[in-house]
Amino acid sequence: MSTEVAQTPSAPAPPRAAPTKPAKDFDRPRFLKVYLWLFFAVLFVPIVLVILFSFNSSRSLQNFEGFSLRWYETFFESESLRDSLIASIEIALVTMVIATVLGTLLAYGLVRTRTRWSNAANILMLIPLVTPEIVAGASALLLFTQIGLELSITTIILAHITFSISYVTVVVRARLAALGREVEAAAMDLGATRWQTFRLVTLPALWPAVLAAGLLVFALSFDDFVLSFFTTGESPQPLPVRIWTQIRFGVRPTINAIGTFMLVISVLSIGLALLLPRLFGRKESGLKVLLGREGT
Amino acid sequence: MNENRFASTFLIPGGLWLLALFVVPVLLVLGLSFGHTDDLGEAIYGFEFTNYERVFDPDLIPVLLRSVGFALATVVICLLIGYPVAYYIAIYGGRWKNVLLALVVLPFFVNYLIRTYAWIAMLGDDGLVNGLFDTSIRFINTPYAVIGGLVYGFLAFMILPVFASLDNMDRSLIEAGKDLYGGPWQTFRHVTLPHSYQGILAGAVLVFLPAVGDFVSASLLGGPEDVMIGNLIQQQFQASDNWPFGAALTIVMMAFLLIWMSLYLRSAAREAREQEA
Repeated sequence: MSTEVAQTPSAPAPPRAAPTKPAKDFDRPRFLKVYLWLFFAVLFVPIVLVILFSFNSSRSLQNFEGFSLRWYETFFESESLRDSLIASIEIALVTMVIATVLGTLLAYGLVRTRTRWSNAANILMLIPLVTPEIVAGASALLLFTQIGLELSITTIILAHITFSISYVTVVVRARLAALGREVEAAAMDLGATRWQTFRLVTLPALWPAVLAAGLLVFALSFDDFVLSFFTTGESPQPLPVRIWTQIRFGVRPTINAIGTFMLVISVLSIGLALLLPRLFGRKESGLKVLLGREGT
Repeated sequence: MNENRFASTFLIPGGLWLLALFVVPVLLVLGLSFGHTDDLGEAIYGFEFTNYERVFDPDLIPVLLRSVGFALATVVICLLIGYPVAYYIAIYGGRWKNVLLALVVLPFFVNYLIRTYAWIAMLGDDGLVNGLFDTSIRFINTPYAVIGGLVYGFLAFMILPVFASLDNMDRSLIEAGKDLYGGPWQTFRHVTLPHSYQGILAGAVLVFLPAVGDFVSASLLGGPEDVMIGNLIQQQFQASDNWPFGAALTIVMMAFLLIWMSLYLRSAAREAREQEA
């Protein structure tokens, strides 16, 4: 309709054909829709192939010759790969708990104060988000060797926490900012101390965001390669470091099984994070919470 | 206790952690970049500029330029591929908006190494595509493969901020453009596009930063001619074991990225202020 108008600007504008029609049907370009599906196809094809070939009964990565679980068996029968899986989960869990606590406290401090210190803390919090991981990895490695800390799971956890705090803060801060202070003010009027207000009023309202942030950190830590690569000890090494070594030796079907397994864990934790607000019976979009865009 | 004092104490644990495990290590790297290695390869702090002279040695200039070039190409391609996607989801997504966005985000939670590996399995010399069509086209070990890997790795960082800027736009502006006899293209160019500049800028920064420091894509998808600065840094801290030189490379990269970082920090700080206001 609008093209018609544009082509004949001298003609009187025709009356709106269907003002009751929803705006989304208003000259929606067909090619954009085709493009979108093409885009998703290209985006997902490699991942689907990894999943498919993890169930291949032969070594081939070109022909799917039949369904089998042999690559999963290879994965779980290898003691060192099992140790790596356990190490990865342990690292992600500890990182999740500590980074979530630190990041939530930091978010509260940043939203509720207006001092020189909070400005400095704000910048300090944002910089890790834009620091290339290799810088983070190299500097963490240098610190650990300088203070004589032996490289192990512990050093990986320390490095992961440092770079997870900011994600938590961004997510929780958006929720806090959207919350408003009226309820807190009411609690204080009713005689609650500041600490009681934080614990009994603010924190419960923050729960969905805090948990979502925690799950996000779990997924990021579980998947992280660069930081782990720089700060890992001899063994056990986390799964992504093992994958790196295997890929460098050439393409192997076991990688498909490891990759698929990791994918399931990541998708479960992110999916749970996306559904969290629903589970708490709230209406806000889980995606917005996760992206720190609540209230916008 | 007043609110400022009370809430300020909440800044202490996280602030101290970031000081000790982020600021101090970066300062150590800065210090070591002026040092050297002794005969045993042990890193010694000092005050000399030999590492920096090595970084700007004519031999290494191509590596630095290549890193910037690859990263810029990644930004442009991500914008070209990602903008229509963000546009469609923001303007026409309707009630599917969140589902479509989740579909965009989902692949980025598949391990980066696995995603890179998937491309090797597909496009490698004896990979799926060459097997399927019985050809022997060389896709892997080319600069295009490296850039492709970077695009596939960081595309979401472009789509999300562009989507956010378009989603915030007042839709009646588009209607107004059309009422004023603007064709779809004119309306897009004069109304919609300017509204997404902020998102494009944020996306450009968010893609450029990880792309320029990446070493995974060049290691796995590139040939020996496609080395980036990230590969050099990684080698210094691991195989070659020349930490002071690696530190100098890191500092040069950081200094260069500071311009981009400050752009991003400014807009992030502005957004945070608006959110709280």
